[in-house]
Amino acid sequence: MSSLFLLIPIAMIFVFIAIMIFILAVKTDQFEDLERQGLDILLEEQQAKDKEPLKHD
Amino acid sequence: MTCFHCGEPFLDPEETYQVQLPTKTVFLCCTGCEAITQSIVDNGLLSYYTHRTGTATKQNTVPDELALSWYDNAEIEDDFIRIKETEKEVTLAVDNLVCSACAWLIESHLFKHIGVTFFRVNATTHRATLRWDPKQTKLSDVLYSLHCLGYPSSPFEWDKYEKQHQQNIKKSLYRLGVAGIASMQVMMIAIALYFEWFGDLDPLFKQYLRIVSAIFSVPVLTYSAWPFYQSAYRSLRLRVLNMDVPVSLALILAFSASLYATYTQQGEVFFESITMFTFFLLCGRFGELKARYKASAFSANLYKATPSIATLVSGEQVATKSLSIGDVIFVRAGDVIPMDGILLKGETVCDESMLTGESTGVKKNIGESVFAGSINTKECIELKVTTEPQNTWLSHILKWQEEAQNAKPKVMALTDSISHYFILIILVLSVLTALIWWNISPDEALWITISVLVATCPCALSLATPTAFTCATAKLSKLGVLIKQAHVWDTLAKVDHCVLDKTGTLTYGKIQIESHQHFNRKWSLDEVYAITFALEQNINHPIAKAFQDLPQTKKVNIENIKSFESQGVSGWWQSQEWRLGNATFVGRPKNEGSGIWLTCDGDPVMRFALTDCFRPHTNAFVNAMKQRQWKHTVLTGDPSESAIATLSDFGFLSVKTGLFPQEKLEWVNRFAEKDIVMMIGDGINDAPVLAGAHVSIALNQGTDLAKSSADAILLGDSLMPILTACDLAKRCQRIVKQNFAWALGYNLCILPLAMMGMVPPYLAVLGMSFSSLLVVSNSLRLLK
Repeated sequence: MSSLFLLIPIAMIFVFIAIMIFILAVKTDQFEDLERQGLDILLEEQQAKDKEPLKHD
Repeated sequence: MTCFHCGEPFLDPEETYQVQLPTKTVFLCCTGCEAITQSIVDNGLLSYYTHRTGTATKQNTVPDELALSWYDNAEIEDDFIRIKETEKEVTLAVDNLVCSACAWLIESHLFKHIGVTFFRVNATTHRATLRWDPKQTKLSDVLYSLHCLGYPSSPFEWDKYEKQHQQNIKKSLYRLGVAGIASMQVMMIAIALYFEWFGDLDPLFKQYLRIVSAIFSVPVLTYSAWPFYQSAYRSLRLRVLNMDVPVSLALILAFSASLYATYTQQGEVFFESITMFTFFLLCGRFGELKARYKASAFSANLYKATPSIATLVSGEQVATKSLSIGDVIFVRAGDVIPMDGILLKGETVCDESMLTGESTGVKKNIGESVFAGSINTKECIELKVTTEPQNTWLSHILKWQEEAQNAKPKVMALTDSISHYFILIILVLSVLTALIWWNISPDEALWITISVLVATCPCALSLATPTAFTCATAKLSKLGVLIKQAHVWDTLAKVDHCVLDKTGTLTYGKIQIESHQHFNRKWSLDEVYAITFALEQNINHPIAKAFQDLPQTKKVNIENIKSFESQGVSGWWQSQEWRLGNATFVGRPKNEGSGIWLTCDGDPVMRFALTDCFRPHTNAFVNAMKQRQWKHTVLTGDPSESAIATLSDFGFLSVKTGLFPQEKLEWVNRFAEKDIVMMIGDGINDAPVLAGAHVSIALNQGTDLAKSSADAILLGDSLMPILTACDLAKRCQRIVKQNFAWALGYNLCILPLAMMGMVPPYLAVLGMSFSSLLVVSNSLRLLK
């Protein structure tokens, strides 16, 4: 039980960090467009694949 | 078979264009699509085709480089360009953006453009942010390459409301995030505190947990809940009651009581209840704010910053906004008049369809007024500017439109007044509860009062209509119908008479040559084409446009071309008189059939049959209207008999032809006495009729005035989404009624229970949140 006296303040620090990260994310417009970025990963991988055969040629 | 790029059927299956992909050969419908596909292949951006969710928009017009170069004018630039150190930044409104794959395509393409340092497309709002180095490239170059890719874009002026709106969204996101993260912690600790019920909790440990949750609640109750206090204060000062009054009261009371209980180490704490309460409320408001922002961003995209240039008599080109009263400007034939003014030199005909909806030109003599936005169709003119740039007739029209948009719908106003009385009753009842319980048992009076305030909070009631409208609006935007007036939701559901315009609405309003009959083989087909083209090339009339698209293999020089209004044209070639026009004009008997005749010295050479393409699904649309047992009428200005025939082929029963705009309005007014009338028009001459009908829908290709006088705008090609909109309006009303029934019913049931002290605060919060969530998720069903 007594370990909680130490663990809870540590958790509080983490919560503080989480809030800071969230604020940073909002500030850099990461919540502006939620559809677009999700697709990035698909498209760029595909593009790399498209290019690969050219390298071997 | 359809075009690989734009998905449209081939106009001529014989004539297709091919592009070689790494895996296969694809077929395209036009040079425009071919060029775009080729450039996508060349740039290695093929994954666009794999991941796109909609086909691209057909784009065959290559932009005029000269028109784009206006954007480089330093004077105009100030309006929309922001300077960032050595770079310049601009926000663009991007057309034809279908899905996120388009956004990716544009980004990847533009990153290869020299001088572009930053480019990001927002697929939700159809905007892009562009940063470039002015030493290496010009804005017009970037715009040109965007046009060529099939995404015409133009700089967009941020209006200040929207900017504010965006900042509000960010602020509420901060508040929501803080409330979310902190209330999670408080809830976690609350669960530990609940263990008290099952057994003994060390008093020291209990006190410790209470202090921790108090610490976590402080930012939620001060920072996150701040807008509630602000709004409550504002409404109290205006002597009206809004929902935030009981909310703030409950929050402040409960928080002070809990702090006091923590300090004195006795009594109950409600930290978890109030933080969750704040979080849920913020969630609801954020959703509403976001949906509203999206809707407003879409409509704001329509207002692009067009570079307007005026030419002074001295030949100097200046930005329109720098003109002042008394300046004399020169307007070429065919150009848009940049500013209201008085005609000084030249007599001309102005096309004021943008302002009045009237497509026939208005004759202007010296000394008469001409208006900004109208088109000078005949001669070069000089005019004296009579207004300041911000006071033109056109800008007034835009302002009226804005005002109309801000008008509040009736249903919303009703909810507001209901909740006003509701809140008053709640406040009175909670004071009564507090007084009564104070006499019975003072210990319990506080939490019972808080329960009453929280449980009966009319959040669900106030969410009932806006959430439903927002969801329905969002759903319709996706289908291609933009709702401008909120009253549409009331009226669309009741429509039982649909009035349509023909040209431009049922048809594309683009006249094409359907077939031709060649009478005299002395002149080859190529020669005939060349002659008709030469006769019509400088005529500005919808029918002449059809001839201007004729294939050109030869060139002939026709002299002395004369145009006769609504009859035809004549000219001389090889010392013979050529006439092109209707039967009476060329001297043929009227019964020889309609169409346009070409004669040489009175002998018929060729007869062209003209047609106007009907929109896709017209048949289905008519049948669907019949199924709904709607009355439907076509009102058209077209006087021809053939119009009635074609329309009855499509199943239209009631057709009125040859009508002037006033007559159309009279008809609509007559219908409106008995039925709820929906008018669909493209507005070349429909603007007054659109305004006169109960509910009106304009087509996106229509004139700006039509769009501003209509209640909704149809974006796509097919008319079918209009019917979907009507169904959705009915569903929307049903859902609003359900929401109301639930919210009122729940509040009325819980009120006596809470007053009797049978609902502890945490249950009150759960009930309130559950009720709001139910209302919101009920509204969300509209999105499906």
